[in-house]
Amino acid sequence: MTEQSAWLRQQIDQLANQQSKFTDRAFWLALKQVVAEQDRRSEQLGGEVDGRTWRPDRW
Amino acid sequence: MTTLVLVSHPQLADSTSQQFLKESLPDETIIWEHIEGQSTLDVAKEQEQLRHADRVILQFPLYWYAAPAGLKQWEDTVLTRTFVYGDHRYPLAGKELGIVVTTGMPKQAFQRGGAENMTLDAALAPLAALAHRAKMTWLPIFPIHQFGYLEEPEKLQLVIDYQRYLTQKQPDSLTNRQDWFAHRLSAMVDQLPAEQQTAGKLIANVFDQNREHLDQLTDTLAMIKEQEDD
Repeated sequence: MTEQSAWLRQQIDQLANQQSKFTDRAFWLALKQVVAEQDRRSEQLGGEVDGRTWRPDRW
Repeated sequence: MTTLVLVSHPQLADSTSQQFLKESLPDETIIWEHIEGQSTLDVAKEQEQLRHADRVILQFPLYWYAAPAGLKQWEDTVLTRTFVYGDHRYPLAGKELGIVVTTGMPKQAFQRGGAENMTLDAALAPLAALAHRAKMTWLPIFPIHQFGYLEEPEKLQLVIDYQRYLTQKQPDSLTNRQDWFAHRLSAMVDQLPAEQQTAGKLIANVFDQNREHLDQLTDTLAMIKEQEDD
């Protein structure tokens, strides 16, 4: 997890805790999970781009 | 998108899970109906609701590996042969059929060798057959196991999973999930009290940036793969 995403998740937690309506709190916490998934996917895709670009046979 | 939620439960008021789901309904166009709550089934009205809906959700507790009797009665009364397929017009074709089923047994019971020795897909096969006959798209079942044992974080998660099952584009991919949240985010930020607006906007911005970044990476990868094929 990058520093920025850790910070973002903390911001979402804080905002979620301030919501009095159960369904509103649920929304922000679920958004946090999507953000975590974005991070994971972005790391994986970035890795795949690097891996596929690194082709010594084409040098 | 219009979603029709048909709830079958003989004692709805006594069901904490059904009350919870009702409180969790999203703000969008949802038509919610309690089947057993109708004194008589108005076939024309029921069929009109089905015609009007894009997604139909049948929601019920699992009684002896099936829906309660009320749902079967609704099927037998409303889903006449002529309406569903008899005149070859297939008014339900292309609509999605989803099942929200609550069970008293845990998830691991519903598999071969488990306590129930049967999957929910197998138990609810008649409903899947019905969807097939009507040329509807069958959505993966949305099971809620042992609602009474859920802790608060699981209940919070259930609210949004349920809302997404009712209104999010299928399949449940990251792209469709992101779209669902993006669509609601600005309204959620707008309704925040003034002192929380900044945090809300900041979160929404980063979420959008992440989304764009992922799109770019996906495009780049597609380009690389295309070149590799050449």
